[in-house]
Amino acid sequence: MIKLDPRTKLLLLLAEAVIVLGGLGGGNAEPFKTVFMALPFLLLLTVKKYRTAVIGAVLLGLGLAAGHIPTEGRGAIVLLMCSGILTRFVPSLMMGNYVMSSTRVSEFTAAMERMHVTPKITIPMAVMFRFFPTVKEECSAIGEAMKMRDIRLGGSKVMQMAEYRLVPMMTCSVKIGEELSAAALTRGLGSPVKRTNVCRIGFRAADIAMFLLCAAALVWIIWRSVT
Amino acid sequence: MTELRDVSFSYAAAPEKGCIKHMDLTVPDGQFLLLTGSSGCGKSTVIRLLNGLVPHFFEGELSGDVLIDGRSVPKMELYETAALQGTVFQNPRAQFFTVDTTGELAFGCENQGLPENEILSRIGRTVERFRISDLMDRNIFCMSGGEKQKIACASVDTLQPPLILLDEPSANLDYASTMQLREIIKLWKSEGRTIIAAEHRLFYLWDIADRALLIRDGAIAEDWSRADMDAMTNEKLAEYGLRSIHDTDPVTIERSCSRGEVFNVKPHKKFTFPAEIPLHEITAVVGRNGAGKTTFLRHMCRSARRSRRIFMVMQDVDHQLFTDSVLEEVLISLAQEDEAKAREILRSLDLEDFADRHPMSLSGGQKQRVAIACAAASGRDILLFDEPTSGLDYEHMRQTADLLRQLREQGRTVLVVTHDSELIEACCTNIIRLES
Repeated sequence: MIKLDPRTKLLLLLAEAVIVLGGLGGGNAEPFKTVFMALPFLLLLTVKKYRTAVIGAVLLGLGLAAGHIPTEGRGAIVLLMCSGILTRFVPSLMMGNYVMSSTRVSEFTAAMERMHVTPKITIPMAVMFRFFPTVKEECSAIGEAMKMRDIRLGGSKVMQMAEYRLVPMMTCSVKIGEELSAAALTRGLGSPVKRTNVCRIGFRAADIAMFLLCAAALVWIIWRSVT
Repeated sequence: MTELRDVSFSYAAAPEKGCIKHMDLTVPDGQFLLLTGSSGCGKSTVIRLLNGLVPHFFEGELSGDVLIDGRSVPKMELYETAALQGTVFQNPRAQFFTVDTTGELAFGCENQGLPENEILSRIGRTVERFRISDLMDRNIFCMSGGEKQKIACASVDTLQPPLILLDEPSANLDYASTMQLREIIKLWKSEGRTIIAAEHRLFYLWDIADRALLIRDGAIAEDWSRADMDAMTNEKLAEYGLRSIHDTDPVTIERSCSRGEVFNVKPHKKFTFPAEIPLHEITAVVGRNGAGKTTFLRHMCRSARRSRRIFMVMQDVDHQLFTDSVLEEVLISLAQEDEAKAREILRSLDLEDFADRHPMSLSGGQKQRVAIACAAASGRDILLFDEPTSGLDYEHMRQTADLLRQLREQGRTVLVVTHDSELIEACCTNIIRLES
């Protein structure tokens, strides 16, 4: 099983965003673009997120196929748009999913400390790891409640749908956010003492390979663009 | 020694609620003190004064001094107080900083900057004493409320604080988990820690506490010694507005009603749920953790989605109130918007005066009634309640019981999933046990 350092993951996330989502270098990025499109799925397999990987792969496959269907006129534009959105966004989303699900909060804070990032930035980012799953839980509970009260899309209240969903979401998120901060503060978060960290992070062979891959991609794209 | 010296405090946000008036209190080391009293009496404020959240996090007007071992809590920074005390909070879902259990146990110690080896050996000791090795390295989001609360206690334990504070730690726990919490508190007591617990549910702490205080309107109304506590009866406690000290496991209560009309429940793939629910009765649904209470509720809602007969009042009512006024809330539930009818429904539930208020500005019990008003407006006759009395004091529990009886008198069917044996004894006419 491959275990990457959180810093490597951040680099991969950046590379994914620049090369696949941003489309740096256009056609010059091949064959690295293909590599970076496939990479998130392989990484998801290493953390046993098979379901996510399969769903993502199907979406990406659809996107790639849509780009090759010979059509003309308006249909072609729609297909091209769908293809573009899927092929650009899906790999980056998958990489994000991998990073969030494979990194522990303590690993993340340790990595940020090694990079000398101030706690003023690290702590809010660390809270995100906690916050997203919490919001997801809240959101599904609210969705359930809305179904029970017969508030659905297509009813006479379409315009209010967003409001109805957001109001309880915000109330609950604020409440939980407050309780979370209170609990963390009573446990000494924000102390000027240098924090210890019990998890071990560090670069290994897999990390070096990933760094080399990113460096190679960058050099390749620059070289191809210049010549 | 832990002391409050002539402390007065009122919150800036709500000056009347939970304020403290000239309180003097001395808790010797090693004492287990139980704080009790009705909601909003100020017992949680005492806990917050001791862990420093008052006045550092919850702002307001403070006079007097709070001392732990001679050091003044209001003058210390929160992270300094963190080394002197550990707090277990009410809501198990909102007191974790990390996502994995092991990281959570290390969190407090990491903040203190303890050496890595020391932290690891402390975690090892806590895991062994609490017998929670099966809970290590798990995702907190995949755990039950009882397991989460155990981890919360364990993460306080690794810091080895001399003072342990508990703020209604059992509010969201079922009977079995509450008894496990009791064991943890007994362990702390045997190790000579000072423990101060604010609680409504007395049965699991009454016989192990050294002393109990009744707090009323921000002042100490009664100070009971161990001998006073032994002489106490349920009747006398009820006069003080307090909950029962007898531990009745809800699973052992007997109730049965005569057979009349029933609602047929569709069979479930995995669980064997009761096939029939008697109509026009108040049925309690009890069962241990993992017996499928949540699945049962969800299954009931799903199987009746077509017939539109069932409405569930959720444990966290905030999830099901969407609009900006109570009246609007009822209007959107009616098939045809009809203000006169909406007001009539509000009147039947004593909510008329609140028609223009924002639902989120109401108290917990009032929100519950708004949800019931919505159910009434949508014409549903079977009401499901998910733990409607968790965290409620005696008075509010009685009010909920009265409300359920009133709903039954109006011809509705009530199904209440609960671990509150007092509520069952107060109003339920039938009982269903879920077996895993």
